[in-house]
Amino acid sequence: MEEIKKAILDFAETSKKTKFYFKDIEKAVKKVIPDAKPREIKKAATALINAEKLIYFSTGSSTMYGLKGRGQTEDH
Amino acid sequence: MAFEPREEQTKLIYDELRIYSDEELNNYTEEELKNFKCKHDIPDLDEMEKGPWPSYVADAKREALHRRNLAEDRMLIHRDVVEDLLGQVQLSFDEGETHWKHGGIVGVFGYGGGVIGRYSDVPDKFPSIAHFHTIRVNQPASKFYDSDYLRTICDLWEFRGSGLMNMHGSTGDMVMLGTFTEQLEPIFFELTHKLQQDIGGSGSNLRTPSCCVGKARCEFACIDTQDMCYEFTHYYQDELHRPAFPYKYKFKFDGCPNCCVASIARSDMSFIGTWRDPIRIDQEAVQAYIGGEIEPAGGSHRGRDWGKFDIQKEVIDRCPTHCMHMEDGKLMINMADCTRCMHCINVMPRALRPGTDTGVSILFGAKAPILEGAQMGILTIPFMRCESPYDNIKEVVEKIWEWWPEEGKNRERLGELIQRQGVRKLLEVLDIPPMPQMVREPRSNPYIFWKEEDVPGGWDRDINDYRSRHKR
Repeated sequence: MEEIKKAILDFAETSKKTKFYFKDIEKAVKKVIPDAKPREIKKAATALINAEKLIYFSTGSSTMYGLKGRGQTEDH
Repeated sequence: MAFEPREEQTKLIYDELRIYSDEELNNYTEEELKNFKCKHDIPDLDEMEKGPWPSYVADAKREALHRRNLAEDRMLIHRDVVEDLLGQVQLSFDEGETHWKHGGIVGVFGYGGGVIGRYSDVPDKFPSIAHFHTIRVNQPASKFYDSDYLRTICDLWEFRGSGLMNMHGSTGDMVMLGTFTEQLEPIFFELTHKLQQDIGGSGSNLRTPSCCVGKARCEFACIDTQDMCYEFTHYYQDELHRPAFPYKYKFKFDGCPNCCVASIARSDMSFIGTWRDPIRIDQEAVQAYIGGEIEPAGGSHRGRDWGKFDIQKEVIDRCPTHCMHMEDGKLMINMADCTRCMHCINVMPRALRPGTDTGVSILFGAKAPILEGAQMGILTIPFMRCESPYDNIKEVVEKIWEWWPEEGKNRERLGELIQRQGVRKLLEVLDIPPMPQMVREPRSNPYIFWKEEDVPGGWDRDINDYRSRHKR
């Protein structure tokens, strides 16, 4: 779990875009940890949301993730 | 079996939870309403109040006047929120473009759905709607409420929001329209801790499951849609609140093929109650319909002279598969040809009833037009047993949820993935055989191809042996 969290944060810090889909997270994690299961990745992402390191960004119809403090992360 | 809630339920008593007094709730006269002038000039909206149909503008004006007459400290967001809303809508009509900015970071802690951020892009003109977020409240199965609950939630929304609601949005949820970011967490706390109420789904989540009135009030219900909706809502909480899908995913539950929540047209996974034994026929009641002793369609066409009920014209000839006929004065149905269109049952409900060997049909891939146009669901599983705790059905759900999130592109609905990869792939995922009924036009959509392992001997052949039997 900690390894997956680290992979997610590494991706969130360095990705070209500041907001990304869950599939982008999955792809990035699998590059580092090929046998990571989607459910484990989701659990790790949820834990990072609860730890206030990641944030959700929703248009109402689809949802993206972002790193808190990177790009637009406050209410506008 | 009697309904058993999963959590201990507390009876909500409005008098203990209310925020406003009766005087505050009834704080304007009809005369005042007639003379009400919105603070913005809204000629096009005024026009919408004319004519025979009810208008949201009339309701909004009532709410605006109500807020105008409330004391300043009795609302936690701006008094003028409704008037500013009307003003901005008028501006959009004038300029032919929207002034809403959609989406953002807003939400409640730990939840990825249920709150839809909305902001005005002209907040200087309309400061009261600088934020105008929507909250979706997960409706109870079949939308049964009591008035204590409704009054309490209306008070809460008046106090912390705009007071404007949709009962209900097309998602099925109760939709609370318009509040500021700082009110979201307190509203969520009140909803969950006092009203025992969760918020609904939005974004790339499982959306709020929705069902018809089902066995609570409908004699046609073949499955307990309320129980199923309640069970699936609880069982898949994580998918409802923590988005990890490529896009939205909807479950809808219809008790019979009348499809009162239109699951066939609106849900990625549509559950429709059905039966597989014969339609139950009461021949005496059939004669009573023919003789005019019982009104057809429950009397829904009364009040106009349509002439004498004609079973041939109004029932038998209207059967889409021509599976009915009269024989020696008796109505006969060839069940093998019946597609459960429900027409005959709807016209003569006292004579015809669904069978008793009931279950569910499962359809996949319906959606509204964003990409590729609107699609109806594909009937993939014609019949499945449907009994609590629905483990057999959850297995099907999870097979789809292994495939679609893996193969689906970002913002691709299940129906679009089926279109892209083919029904054959869907059948492989579900591990079910194709049926002839799935092929609508055999010469134009022959999507079922043999695979090597399905063919005795595979693809390998001895060309000389073949040529010994087939000349070039």
